[in-house]
Amino acid sequence: MSIVEVQGLSKQYDPPKGVLAVDDVSFAIEPGEIFSLLGPNGAGKSTTISMLSCLLRPTDGDASVDGHSVVGEPQAVKSVIGVVPQDIAVYPDMTARENLLFWGRMYGLAGAELKKRVDEVLELISLVDRQKDRIDKFSGGMKRRVNIGVALLHKPRVLYLDEPTVGIDPQSRRAILDGILDLREQGMTVLYTTHYMAEAQELSDRVAIIDHGKLIAMGTHEELVRLVGEEARVDITVDKQLEAMAERWSALGGVSRATVEEDHAELLVDDANEVLPHLFEEAAAGGSRITSVNVSEPNLELVFLHLTGRALRE
Amino acid sequence: MSKILAIAWKDLRSTMRDVPALAIMLLIPLALAALLGFAFGGGDSFEIAATEVVVTSADEWPPGSLPMHDPPPLAGETFVEVLTSPELEDVLDVTEVAGAAAARRRVDDGDVAIAVIVPPDFTAALYGTGGERTAVELYADPTREFGIAITEAVVTQALLDFNGARAAAAVAAATAGEGSGHDAVAQVAAARFAEGGGVGGGLVLADREPLYTEGQEDDKVGAVGLILAGMMVFFMLFGASNVARTILTEEEDGTLPRMLTTPTSASTILAGKYASVFLTVTVQVVILLAAGRLLFGIDWGRPHAVLALTLVGAAVASGLALLVIALVKTPAQAGAIGAGVYLVLALLGGNFTGTATGTGVYATIQSFTPNGWLLRGWDVAMHGGDFGDVAAKLLVPIAFAAVFFAVAVLRLRRRYA
Repeated sequence: MSIVEVQGLSKQYDPPKGVLAVDDVSFAIEPGEIFSLLGPNGAGKSTTISMLSCLLRPTDGDASVDGHSVVGEPQAVKSVIGVVPQDIAVYPDMTARENLLFWGRMYGLAGAELKKRVDEVLELISLVDRQKDRIDKFSGGMKRRVNIGVALLHKPRVLYLDEPTVGIDPQSRRAILDGILDLREQGMTVLYTTHYMAEAQELSDRVAIIDHGKLIAMGTHEELVRLVGEEARVDITVDKQLEAMAERWSALGGVSRATVEEDHAELLVDDANEVLPHLFEEAAAGGSRITSVNVSEPNLELVFLHLTGRALRE
Repeated sequence: MSKILAIAWKDLRSTMRDVPALAIMLLIPLALAALLGFAFGGGDSFEIAATEVVVTSADEWPPGSLPMHDPPPLAGETFVEVLTSPELEDVLDVTEVAGAAAARRRVDDGDVAIAVIVPPDFTAALYGTGGERTAVELYADPTREFGIAITEAVVTQALLDFNGARAAAAVAAATAGEGSGHDAVAQVAAARFAEGGGVGGGLVLADREPLYTEGQEDDKVGAVGLILAGMMVFFMLFGASNVARTILTEEEDGTLPRMLTTPTSASTILAGKYASVFLTVTVQVVILLAAGRLLFGIDWGRPHAVLALTLVGAAVASGLALLVIALVKTPAQAGAIGAGVYLVLALLGGNFTGTATGTGVYATIQSFTPNGWLLRGWDVAMHGGDFGDVAAKLLVPIAFAAVFFAVAVLRLRRRYA
């Protein structure tokens, strides 16, 4: 039985003419799974998380978490989820320990149990030595760790992480990703939103790609890559006539798509080894000289490009 | 309940760590209080200024007494000389005026703190042998407490000396021609001095105050305390506003939405916020009351009355602050609109002038402000009113607080449902 089941979830702000931020989204998450919502900024990821957190009421559809409806039983849902918001939401004028104690009380913990969990979480986020320091004295990475620690205090059955690595250094990002993998080892279910393809690819058991509020693909990494037919991506820069060259290359056999992206062309090809010599020949014939070539094996970035015609970062 | 207290404690602690907020809540009202206290004579402990005094003597020779060839000066003149002596100029700034009416008028006009009026029979009482008594009148503005105390002490000491002289004169008269030794004279003098009762002897002091009509009395009596009470009520509104505004700042910072993702209902969170505002304002008032007592010696009144005023005042401030928050969307709006609302209320309610009971149209307007009623309550308390007297003034503020709170909760619950 799925621990999270989302059915026909929609959210329209200021109906009937307002923005349809989430449009008929359905998916299910199995216990112990890391499930990622991958999409560009404004795709509807945070709105989906907000509805699953009972912060926003769906315009249509429903979702259940651990068997409880987000529409009908919000308090029950809130007691089994932990939410890590995109922006750091802790009190900067309080110490790490004071923050954890306060948020623990909000989750209904008290007395010895509360202190025990605070100690455990401080250990988990490696801030035992800094527990008496105010949050506003912390680095960005340390603040992120406290932000995550708050959501773990009550040992939630499902952890929502809304882009938890935005704006932090690579080292802190690595620590957070490792921490999430550790949580999976402990059996926690994780719903993770990101617009970083690499994170979704590394962490997730399954990925749902969302764009303009719609779920456009869902599956394991392998299943999604298969959607683009094992195509590789070739990025090429030339000394001149970039647009003309992209048009010539798109007509070649083995090239399914060629688009111009700022200073280079992006090509989807069936077999890079076979196509590359023809690309050079065509460039020479067109009077241009190739100055760089980069070949990428099929990945989620390519899947998104394949499905939407746009790069994920756009 | 524990969640409500946790929210309240968290906010109180944050407020106590917020230096600008503390300045608004505590330092500014205390600084203003110090300035006002100094202006009204309650803050003289910083530097004792000479008290402005007028003195007048109507003293005259008793009827029928024969003027001597070289008569001694009238006792009243000597008394005036004592008060105007250079030794006292550091503490008393004495001006002699003609007539008791003129002296009293100087006090009524606020030119001086006190008038010392020597009666016509001062000399008669001093030299008489038949147990005559008379009284030197002190006519004083009761709000200038410190200056009155100094003047009273000086005059009392002078009268004590005069009574001593009176006893000595009586002894001299009694022992004249008896050939007694010095020891006998001393014994008789002591006995007569005791009979005279020292200060309570032939020359005594009569304290008087100007007679004001009822309305004027409120302006004069306890003016310093009332102004401080008015300032306190005004800054309670700001103190409450600072804490209530955390609802909006927490919404912007993401901590309020995050709280709503925990198994804590919106009602509990709002109750916690109300408790935090109420608690913070109550602490603010307790500190200001203590500071007023310690720094300015203000007697706020009986404990039950003060407690009732404190709690109802905190309820009004909390309810109004939440209402403002419920009507706006951003902390900046709350700051601007809140400040405007509080200033208008303070002006209409008499907080800046300590006017507990206005007159005419102003009294009517004042009756429509909760802070105006609170000020009346403080006025009653500081004049010795008990809980029952104060409670009568608190019915309107309680009604205001209930309406503020109800409307605020309805709007906020709808917003965060």
